[in-house]
Amino acid sequence: MKKDQKSFIGHLAAWLNWPRFIFSATLIFFLTSILFPFYWMASSSFKTRAEIAGREPVYVPGEFQLEAYKELFSPEHESYQNFGKNIINTLLVATPTAIIAVILSTLGAYAIARLKFRGKNVLLNGILLVYIFPGVLLIIPLFAMLARVGDTLGFNVQDNLGVLVFTYLAQTLPVALYMLTNYFRTIPDEIEQAGLIDGCSRLGIIWRITLPLAIPALVSVSIYTFMIAWNEFLYALVFLNDHAMFTMPIKINTIFNDPSPRPHVVMAASTIMTVPIIMLFLAMERFLTEGLTAGGVKG
Amino acid sequence: MTTSTPVIKKRFKLFQSEESRLAWALISPTAIIVFSIIIFPAVFSIWVSFHDVGLHNLNNVFNAPFVGFENYQKVFSDFAFKYQGIKIWGAAVTSIVYSFIATAFTILVGLIAALLLNRPFKGRGLTRAIFLFPYVAPVVSTAFVWRWILDPRPSGVLNDILMRLNFIDLPIAYLAERGWALVFVILFEGWRYFPFAMLMILARLQAVDTTLYEAAEVDGANTMQKFWNVTIPELRYVLGAVFLLRLMWTFNKFDDIFLLTGGGFGTRVLPILTYEFSFRLFDFGRGAATAMILLIILAVFMTFYIKVVMQNVED
Repeated sequence: MKKDQKSFIGHLAAWLNWPRFIFSATLIFFLTSILFPFYWMASSSFKTRAEIAGREPVYVPGEFQLEAYKELFSPEHESYQNFGKNIINTLLVATPTAIIAVILSTLGAYAIARLKFRGKNVLLNGILLVYIFPGVLLIIPLFAMLARVGDTLGFNVQDNLGVLVFTYLAQTLPVALYMLTNYFRTIPDEIEQAGLIDGCSRLGIIWRITLPLAIPALVSVSIYTFMIAWNEFLYALVFLNDHAMFTMPIKINTIFNDPSPRPHVVMAASTIMTVPIIMLFLAMERFLTEGLTAGGVKG
Repeated sequence: MTTSTPVIKKRFKLFQSEESRLAWALISPTAIIVFSIIIFPAVFSIWVSFHDVGLHNLNNVFNAPFVGFENYQKVFSDFAFKYQGIKIWGAAVTSIVYSFIATAFTILVGLIAALLLNRPFKGRGLTRAIFLFPYVAPVVSTAFVWRWILDPRPSGVLNDILMRLNFIDLPIAYLAERGWALVFVILFEGWRYFPFAMLMILARLQAVDTTLYEAAEVDGANTMQKFWNVTIPELRYVLGAVFLLRLMWTFNKFDDIFLLTGGGFGTRVLPILTYEFSFRLFDFGRGAATAMILLIILAVFMTFYIKVVMQNVED
C-alpha cells in the first residue's frame, strides 16, 4: 500500500511541471467558482430555517429538509406561496413565445437567406437595431402605447400574459431570425434547385427540403427563445401586479424582499427555476453552443 | 444539362417575379411585430422625452403637454445623475466606469477560459458545458444565490471563509457598502457573462493556422512570445467585436444590478435611474429623457469605436 502511494506521488511529481501546474490550478479555480454557487443554491434549499439563520453557515446539510419546498407548494403551510401557479404562468408565457417565434422567424429567415427582394438590407438592419436599444428605453413607450391601445380595444395591459408574450416576441424574434438565417445559408442551394427542377413550388421546397434539414437549428432556436422568456425579469416586473399572475422571476424577487428573510425558500424557488434550464441545456448542448456563437444571443 | 437550361431559366424567371412577393409575405409578420414594438416605440420615446407624461395622462398620452427640454434639465440637475466629486459619481459616470471595467474584466476571464479549453484534456467537453452554466442559468437565481453567499449575517459563506482564514475580523456587507458594492457587481458580471466571450474567442482560436505556431517555434519563440506575437494578433478582430457587443449590452443592462443592490451604494447606473424615474416616480417624460441620454452616450461611443478602433484593427 505504502509503495503504491509513493509511486503515485512519484508519478505526480514526474508529470507535474510549471505549465501543467498553472493549467490545473486555473481549471480547478474556474470549476469551483462556477459550481459552488449552484451547489450552494441547491443545498441551501434543503436546510431548515434554524440552519439558515445559524451562527455559522452549514456547508453540508445534515439531512434533506423539505421545509422550504413545503412553503412553496403545500397549502397547509402558514405562509403558503402557491408557487405551482407561478410555474404554470411562466410556462404559459414561455411556450407560446417559443412556438410563435420559431414559426415566424423560420419564414422570415428563409426569405432573407434565399430570396432576392428589394429593401432586404434595410429590413435586416432595422431588425438588428434591437441589439442597440436598451429594454428599459423601450418599456416606457411600450407601456404608454399598449395602455392606450388596451383602452381602445378593451383589454388590460397589466396582468395580461398575452401582452407579455407579445413583448417577448419583440425580444426573441431578432435573435431567432439571425440564428436561422445563418443556418439556412449553410444549407447548399443546389439541393433546393434540384427540387425546383423537379417541379416543387417554393413553399413545397421549404416544407419538404429546407425544414427537415434545419431541424437542429429549429430545436436550438426554440430552446433559446423559451429560455429567454423563462428568465425574463424587467418586462414581467413592470407588466405584472397581481400575485396570482406573477411569473417565477417576479415571485422569487417578491419572496426575497419579504420583511422576514427566508433565504432557504428563495433558494428552493431558484433551484426549481434553474434545474429545468440546466437540464435542457445539457441535453441540447451541442446545438446550443453552435447557436450561441452564430447568433451572439443577447444577454 | 445544356438542353434543360432554357427550361430552368424560364422557371427561374417566373420565380423571380413571384420571389419578391413571396419574400415579403414570408417576412412581413416578423417585420410588423418588430417594427411596431421596437422601432415605433424607440421613435415614440423621443417624443415622450419632450412631453409631460405621467400616470394621470397615460390614457391620453398623445395629448400630453409639450415641455421642451424641461425633462432633460430635470435629469441633468438631479442628484442621482450629477457628478458630485470623487466620492459620489452620479449615474452617468457610474454607468461608464462600470460598463468599461466590467466588459474588460469579462473578456479577460473569457480569454483565460478559452485558452484553458483550447488545450486537449480528458473531460474537456463536459468542462466546456459546465463553463456555460452561469450564462444559461436564470439571472434571478444566480443573482440571489450570490447575494446569499455574500450575506453579512453570520451564515454568509464568503465572510465565514475569509474570517476562518483570518483575512478579515468582522463580516463585510459586500453589496451594501459604497465601493465594495460596485466591485462585487463587476465581479458578478464577469462570472456571469465570461462564457459568451469564451465561446467567441475559442471559435477563433480553433481556426488559427497551426503553421504560424510552428514557424514561431522554428524561430525559437517561447510560450509567452508565441502568445503575444501569434495568438493575440490573430484574436484582435474577435476581441474587438466581443468588446463592442458586451459593452453595449452591459451599458443597457438593468436586471443584474437591480437584483444585486437595487441600485444603491454607488451602483445606480442609467438603466436603473430610468426605471426609478418611470416606475417609482411615474414621471415617464423624465424616464424617457434619461433613456435618451443613455442612448446618446452609447451611440457616440459606438460611432467612435467602429470608425477608429475597429478600422485600425482591420488594418
